Amino acid sequence: MVAIGIAPIARRPPTIAAQAPADTMAFYKALDLEAAGKYKEAAPLFRVALHTPASVNALLGLERVLAEIGQSDSLVATLDTLIASNPHEETYRTVQLRTLQSLGREAALRAAFDKWVHDVPDSPSPYREYADLLLQRNRSAAADSVLARANMTLGSTKDLQLEVAQARAAQGQWVESAQAWRQALIKADYLEQAAAYALAPTPMSSRPQVREIFLSLPIEVSSRRALADLETSWGSASDGWNALKSIPPDSAAADAWSEFAKRAESEERWTLAREALEAALRWKHTPDVALRAGTAALNGGDAAAALRLAPLADANGDSALIAKSYVPLYARALSSLGRPAEAERMVAAYDRFISPGAHNSLIRTIAWGWVRTGDMNRARAALAATGAEGDSSDAAGWLALYEGNLKTARVLLRGGTESSPELAMALALIARIKADTAPAIGKAFLALARSDSTAAAAQFVDAADKTPVVRSLLLLSAAQIQSRRGNDADAIALWKRILDTENDSPEAPQAELEWARTLRRAGDASGAAAHLEHLILTYGGSALVPQARRELDLAKAAIPPN
Amino acid sequence: MLGLAALALSANAARAQRLLVPMDDAQQNHLKAYGLTYTAIKAGASAEWLLNYRGGSFLLADTPELRRQAGLAGITIEPIDNGRLGQIRAEIASNNMEAVPLEKAPKIAVYRPSEELPWDDAVTLALNYAGIPYTSVYDDEVEHGDLSKYDWLHLHHEDFTGQLNKFYLSYRDAPWFIDLLQKNTAEAKRLGFANIPALKKDVADKIREFVDRGGFLFAMCGATETLELAIAGKNVDIAQSFLDGTPMDPDADRKMDWKRAMAFRDAHLEQSPFVNAMSDIDGHQVNVPGRQQPLGTFTLFNFSAKFDPVPSMLVQNHRAVINDFYGVTTSFNKAVLKPGDIILANEEGAPWVKYIHGDYGKGTWTFYGGHDPEDPRHAIGNPPTDLSLFKNSPGYRLILNNVLFPAAKKKPLKT
Repeated sequence: MVAIGIAPIARRPPTIAAQAPADTMAFYKALDLEAAGKYKEAAPLFRVALHTPASVNALLGLERVLAEIGQSDSLVATLDTLIASNPHEETYRTVQLRTLQSLGREAALRAAFDKWVHDVPDSPSPYREYADLLLQRNRSAAADSVLARANMTLGSTKDLQLEVAQARAAQGQWVESAQAWRQALIKADYLEQAAAYALAPTPMSSRPQVREIFLSLPIEVSSRRALADLETSWGSASDGWNALKSIPPDSAAADAWSEFAKRAESEERWTLAREALEAALRWKHTPDVALRAGTAALNGGDAAAALRLAPLADANGDSALIAKSYVPLYARALSSLGRPAEAERMVAAYDRFISPGAHNSLIRTIAWGWVRTGDMNRARAALAATGAEGDSSDAAGWLALYEGNLKTARVLLRGGTESSPELAMALALIARIKADTAPAIGKAFLALARSDSTAAAAQFVDAADKTPVVRSLLLLSAAQIQSRRGNDADAIALWKRILDTENDSPEAPQAELEWARTLRRAGDASGAAAHLEHLILTYGGSALVPQARRELDLAKAAIPPN
Repeated sequence: MLGLAALALSANAARAQRLLVPMDDAQQNHLKAYGLTYTAIKAGASAEWLLNYRGGSFLLADTPELRRQAGLAGITIEPIDNGRLGQIRAEIASNNMEAVPLEKAPKIAVYRPSEELPWDDAVTLALNYAGIPYTSVYDDEVEHGDLSKYDWLHLHHEDFTGQLNKFYLSYRDAPWFIDLLQKNTAEAKRLGFANIPALKKDVADKIREFVDRGGFLFAMCGATETLELAIAGKNVDIAQSFLDGTPMDPDADRKMDWKRAMAFRDAHLEQSPFVNAMSDIDGHQVNVPGRQQPLGTFTLFNFSAKFDPVPSMLVQNHRAVINDFYGVTTSFNKAVLKPGDIILANEEGAPWVKYIHGDYGKGTWTFYGGHDPEDPRHAIGNPPTDLSLFKNSPGYRLILNNVLFPAAKKKPLKT
C-alpha cells in the first residue's frame, strides 16, 4: 500500500530548519554520528537533545538509532516522560504507538491510543495514527472499528478520509473506498496515484460505480486525474482520457492534460496524446506543447494535422529553433504527404543552422518522400547528395531492394537501424535467396511502399512464380496483404496453394493457422477446427502448435473467447 | 532373421501394448488428460486409474484415436510394452498405490439455469475444457424426475434457500438481478410453488433423494452450504422477507432437522437479512466485512490407496498443497461436520476444512469449498477463467477427479 508510506511524511513536514539555536549542538553531533553508523554513540546525544527546542526531531533520531541497535524498548519510559510534559505533541504520541507496535505490546498499544483519545478528545490524530498502524499490518477490520469509533466521537470522519479509503479498499468495499478517496483527494491532491493504486483491484462488477463516484459533479481535477490513472491501469487509456477531457479548462486542467499526454506519448498512444495536447493548446497555445501535438499527430498518421498544429509562426523567426525543432517535423510530414520538394526547399532554407548529422538524416527522410511519390531517380539523387552516409543508409538499402539489387540490399538492410514488419519480411526473403538480383521482388516491395496493396499482392504472386526458392514466403506475404484488405477468398486461395504445393515449407503451418483463424472469424468453427487439427498432427514440431491448440479450443468453444 | 526382428521391433514401437498418461510434472496438460480418459472409457477401451502412481496416472488401451486426441490436445502419453507394464504393476503392488479399473463413463448432469449469469461455474469450465460431455438440468428437469437419468450431478453457485445468494443486498437494481428474480419467481409459480424458497427447498430434497438412491453428487461454492440448509430446513421458514414476504422464523435454528442433512449438523443460521452470509458453516465469510478470514493453503490427505480407494481417487494430484480460493462458501467449519464425514483436504491449524466427502444412502456426496481454483477472488462480472492458461491446475484437477471416480469398478475391500 503505497499510500500508507506516503501519508505520514506529507502530514508532518520536517521542522528542524526553523530551529537551530546553539543548545541544539548535541542534536547535530548525534545526526553526524548516526550518519556515520555510530548508533550507540548517537543515542545518548539524541537523549540530551530531547530537552532542547529540537526535541521532536531528537526523538525521531533516537527512535531510529535505538531500532538499529535493537533497544527500542528503552524508548518506552522516555516517551511516557515526554508525553507527560507535553500531552499535545502529536509526534510523541505517534512514536509511542509505533514503538509499542514494533515491540508487539498490543495491550499497551491499545492503552496508549485510548489515553491519547482521552487527553485530546477532539483530535482526529489518534484515530488516524492508530488506524494507519493497523492497516500496515493488514488488520483492516480492526482499523475499520477504530474509524467507526472516530465517527461516533468526532461526529464524522472527514479528516480521516484517507484511512477510511484504505480500510474500505482492504476489505474489498470498493464503492465505499472510492467515495472516501474522492473526499480525501479534495484536501490532498498528491494522493491521486495512491488512490489509483488502491482501487486498481476493483472487480469489473464494481467499476461502473467507482467510475460514477469520480465522475460525479462537481468536477475536481484531482479526482479526474486519479480516475484517469485508474482507467489506464484497468487497461483502457481511452477511458482515462474520457475522465479528463471534460474538465473545465484552466491551468490545472492543462497540466493534467499535458501529463496524461506524456504517459500516452511514452506508450506510443499517439491519438490519445494528440487529443490531450490539443485540449491543452485550446486553453493556452505554447510552442512546446504545439510541437508535441504536431509530433503526436504525425506519429498517429495525420501528417496534415502535424503541419497545422505546429505552425512555423510559433518560432517567431528564430532560425536556430526552426532548424532544430520544426524542420525535422516538417520534413517528415511533407515527405509523408508526397511533398518532398517542399521539404527539400525547407531544409535548404535553414541549412546553415543544421548540423551535418541532422542534415543527412533529413535528406534520408526526403529520399523516402521521393520513393513514396515513385520518383526513384530523385530519391537516389537525394541520397547521393549526402555522400557515403547516404549510400549506406536504410533508405539506400530499400532503394536497392526496390531495384531488385539484393546484393546491396542484403548488406544495407541487415545493418540498418529501423525495424518494421516490412523489414522483417524483406530480411527473411533476402536470407533465403542466393541470387544477387530479383527485380520482381523489388517491384512488389515498391508497390507496398507506395501503399498500393492491390498491386503489391499481385506483384508478390508474380514474384513467387519467378522465384521458386522463396515461393511460399512470397505467397504468404501476398495472402497477408489480401487478408488485411478483407479479401478473404483471395487470401484463402493463396494459403491453399501453399498447402497444396509447398506443404513442406516453413510457411505451410503459418498459412494453415491463418486460414483457420479466418474461418473462425467468419463463423466456420468446424472448418477452422479441421485445419487446426491437420496443422497440429502434420506439423507437430512447429512453434505454432501451441497457438494452434489454443485456436482449436476456441473453435470447439472449450474455452471462453477473450 | 535379422530382417524379421527389425520388422517386429518397428511394429512394437508403432503400437505399444498400452498408453500411460502420466499425471506428475511430466504431464503437459493435466486437465485434458481427464477428457482423454473419459473418451477411452466411453469408447469401451480398457482404462485403469493408477492411484498414487506418478500423480495418479491413467493406463489406457493404445488406439489410434486416443493417440490422435492426445496429439491434438498436447497431452503427454508414454507408449509402454508388456515388460514395462509388468514393472509398473510390481511397483504398485509393493507401495501405497492401486490400479483401479475404470469401466463405465458416467452420465453427467450440471444443475444450471439456461440463461447467462454474471458469474461462471468452475466445473462447467473444466468439463468444457477437458472435452467431457454433460447435460444441463435445472428446476424444471429436477421437478420432473429427470435426475434418475444421470449418474453424477454437479451443483455450484445455486442458493437452495431460495434467497438468490442475498444479492438483493448489493444488486437489487442491477438488470441481471431483476431478471433473475422475475424468471425464478415465474418458474416457481409455473411449477406450483408459492415462491422461490419453496421451489428451491423442494429441488434440494429431490437432489437429496437422488443421492439416497445411489447418485454421485459433487457441489462447490454456495451450493454446498445452502443445499444442506434447505434440506435440514425443509419445514422451517429460513428465508428472509425479500424473497417470500415473511421474515425468517426467529426459532429457525432450533427447528432445523439436521438428521436429514448429508454433511453438516448443528449449524446456526444467519438471522440478519442485512448480513451477506447464510450460516456459520462457512469458515471464511468472504462477503461479511469484519468476519472475512484470509486465504491460506490447503493440504490434501494421503489415504491408503488399497484400503480407501474412493477418497484416494478424489485427492489424486501432482501437488499436495494448493492455494486456497474464495467462494460465497469457501470452507466448512469443523464444528459443524457430521462424525462420518471424510476430510479430504484441510488448512493446517485452521478451524475449517476445504474438501469433504461422505456416503448418504446408496450414494455419495463430495463438497469442495470456493468458486474458482484459479481466480481466488473471483467477483460477479469478472470474465470466466481461460483454462488453456491453467492446464496443469491442481485445484481444477480435484474437480475432474470427481467426474471420473464414478467410473471406477467397485472392488471388495481387502480387509
